[in-house]
Amino acid sequence: MTVATAAQAGFVSCEACGLLSRPAGKSELGHCPRCGTELAWRRRQSIQRTWALVIAAAICYIPANVLPVLSTTALGSTDSDTIMGGVVFLYTSGSWPLALAVLVASVMIPLGKLMALTYLLITVQRGVPGSDRDRTRLYRLVEVIGRWSMLDVFVDTFTVALVQLQPLMSVKPGPGVVFFAAVVVLTMLAAMSFDPRLIWDAGSTREGNHG
Amino acid sequence: MAEGDRGEVVQATVVSRKSSRISMVWIIPILAAVAAVGIAVERILTEGPTITIMFKVADGIEAGKTDVKYKDVKIGQVTKVELAKDSDGVEVTAKMSRRAAPLMVEDAKFWVVEPRITLSGVSGLGTLLSGNYIGFAVGKSTKPRRTFTALEVAPVITGGQPGREFTLRALDLGSLGIGSPIYYRRLQAGQVIAYDLAGDGDVVDVTIFVNAPYDRFVNPNTRFWNASGIDVSAGAGGVNVRTEGLVALLAGGIAFDTPSFAPKAEPAAARTVFILNSDRATALKQPDAVSARYVLYFTESLRGLSVGAPVTLLGLPAGEVTAIGLDLNPSTKNLRGRVDIVSYPERLVGRLQQNQAGLGQALLKNTAERHALVQYMVEQRGLRAQLRSGSLLTGQLYVALDLFPDEPKAKIDWSLAEPSLPVVPSTLPDLEGKITNILAKLDNLPLEAIGSDLSKTLATLDQTLQSTDKLVSGLDGKLMPELSSTFTDLRTAIASANGVLQNTDATLVGKDAPAQQELRDTLHEITRAARSLRVLADYLERNPNSLVFGKSQEKP
Repeated sequence: MTVATAAQAGFVSCEACGLLSRPAGKSELGHCPRCGTELAWRRRQSIQRTWALVIAAAICYIPANVLPVLSTTALGSTDSDTIMGGVVFLYTSGSWPLALAVLVASVMIPLGKLMALTYLLITVQRGVPGSDRDRTRLYRLVEVIGRWSMLDVFVDTFTVALVQLQPLMSVKPGPGVVFFAAVVVLTMLAAMSFDPRLIWDAGSTREGNHG
Repeated sequence: MAEGDRGEVVQATVVSRKSSRISMVWIIPILAAVAAVGIAVERILTEGPTITIMFKVADGIEAGKTDVKYKDVKIGQVTKVELAKDSDGVEVTAKMSRRAAPLMVEDAKFWVVEPRITLSGVSGLGTLLSGNYIGFAVGKSTKPRRTFTALEVAPVITGGQPGREFTLRALDLGSLGIGSPIYYRRLQAGQVIAYDLAGDGDVVDVTIFVNAPYDRFVNPNTRFWNASGIDVSAGAGGVNVRTEGLVALLAGGIAFDTPSFAPKAEPAAARTVFILNSDRATALKQPDAVSARYVLYFTESLRGLSVGAPVTLLGLPAGEVTAIGLDLNPSTKNLRGRVDIVSYPERLVGRLQQNQAGLGQALLKNTAERHALVQYMVEQRGLRAQLRSGSLLTGQLYVALDLFPDEPKAKIDWSLAEPSLPVVPSTLPDLEGKITNILAKLDNLPLEAIGSDLSKTLATLDQTLQSTDKLVSGLDGKLMPELSSTFTDLRTAIASANGVLQNTDATLVGKDAPAQQELRDTLHEITRAARSLRVLADYLERNPNSLVFGKSQEKP
């Protein structure tokens, strides 16, 4: 299926207002005459930025899972729990639906996002043939579910704020939660910096400027 | 640029800018990597050693929960609890903090801290809420070690507490236990921290810990004694009850003190071995350096004499009986009782007056001189040993060395290892014999006859009394009227006598009584005669010669 794109026609569309305009020069596309947004064939350094953020998220993913996210002090003894430890605890204590929810929201989704973004980046860069529509759908999924993986951070902040029965019991956030939040934020940023148009570019004529 | 131009694509404006090939975004993964690596490095750096502790039972130890604490500070956590390979214990793996790494040395100690209630106190109550934890005590060694065997009971004293450990050797443990108090002048100065059989199992070594600053009062001359229970001693001064306190009464205890006669000394080194005496009196007794052994041969019964019975000299404690046995003379087939005694001359010398103390000390030092003194006492003054009864109730005997000057002469053979002292028979059998005689005589008295006689006599007496009574009442009836008339006559007789006497009075004593008058004249005469006699006497005194030559003529 060949569809004429603005870039193929030598026009550039403004990302903010959608105004189609002729680029100012070959190297410098200039600014949108209507809203003043800097014009670009595709998002600037989209691939590079996405890569950087994905790598950063992947790095943060390790301490997020290794370090404890919550330390509970009950009656003088302190327990530190990692995300996986919590999942295992919930599962062994019988509430497997909760364990599954935590596992999906806190472990699978961030990991899935990272893998999906990596897949998109590689296919776009290499021009691997495949269904561009499926890839776009995957991208949209990544964008949509991104906000939901903050569940763990919310749970953490709520318990820390609520469970403060000082001498008997108290809950403190662990260092893992910072990294976990970083993973979520970085993957969201990565998804934002990825230009989905590149999927189509790669799929059709491979003419796009990978700025 | 006109917006109205449809279909016309306008020209974009150019703003020159430098475009860099590498995005600044790469700072983010670099930062993330730095943070992650930093945390990893910190983790590795703070990672201490992993140690294995062998426990008999994993009493309340849980992986991931139980802490290892030193001075109540967490220095590690149990990571794994599993049965030992030989199923003979529990292997507890603990991850220690890096700071605790140098403490993991050969003689470090581990034990489970659990609530403990003893007579001397309650400890570990906090573990009721938080669960048991593993206690830790530092060792003195510097050799690192990674596998340990836990103590079965928590040590009472943990490292770092100032003070010193000592070992007390006792025949038995008595009522002591771990945690039993140690008293110094009735202040609690320490605790029993361990006990164990020592040697061939014939003595008990009690390890005690004396806290600073009391530990400096323990010197090589210090005596320890078991202060458990109540020490009651009865003497002529009354009953003396001694106890170190209620806890010692219930839980047992040890007291120590340095006797006043002991020379001043430097504090004893840690782990010095002392003897644990059974009581205060034994502990503080002056040691007897000089002793003299004698043998006494008695022909009388030794019943009531026991080993340890006192030997007195003139009633003062001088020694004790060490053995009681028999002696058979093979030639004469003479069997007699043999009593070994030991005398401690120091005890007697200690009772000498201040100015004679030097003499006593010389005696103590010079054996020959001491022998000479004993010999003189035996041969010239009649020093003899005699069995005496210490108590008529219990029949306990003691050996008295006393002077019997009338006894036949005796000699001491100093050539024997244990010279024999001459004895005199006890006065006790005499006394017994006399009492028996008296009892026999009493027995022979015709008490029954006397009794019946007495009752007869009493009956007669009763009759006599009754007749007397009758007689008196008869007299009362018959005599009273006559007696009353007699009294009336008597009264008139007295009245007339009174008249007679008044007349007599007038004749004899009245002013004009003739007898009185004559008496007065006579007295006048006598007065006059006396006066002329005085004149004569005066004259004779002045002129004594007138007695020979007569009254001289008055000279003009």
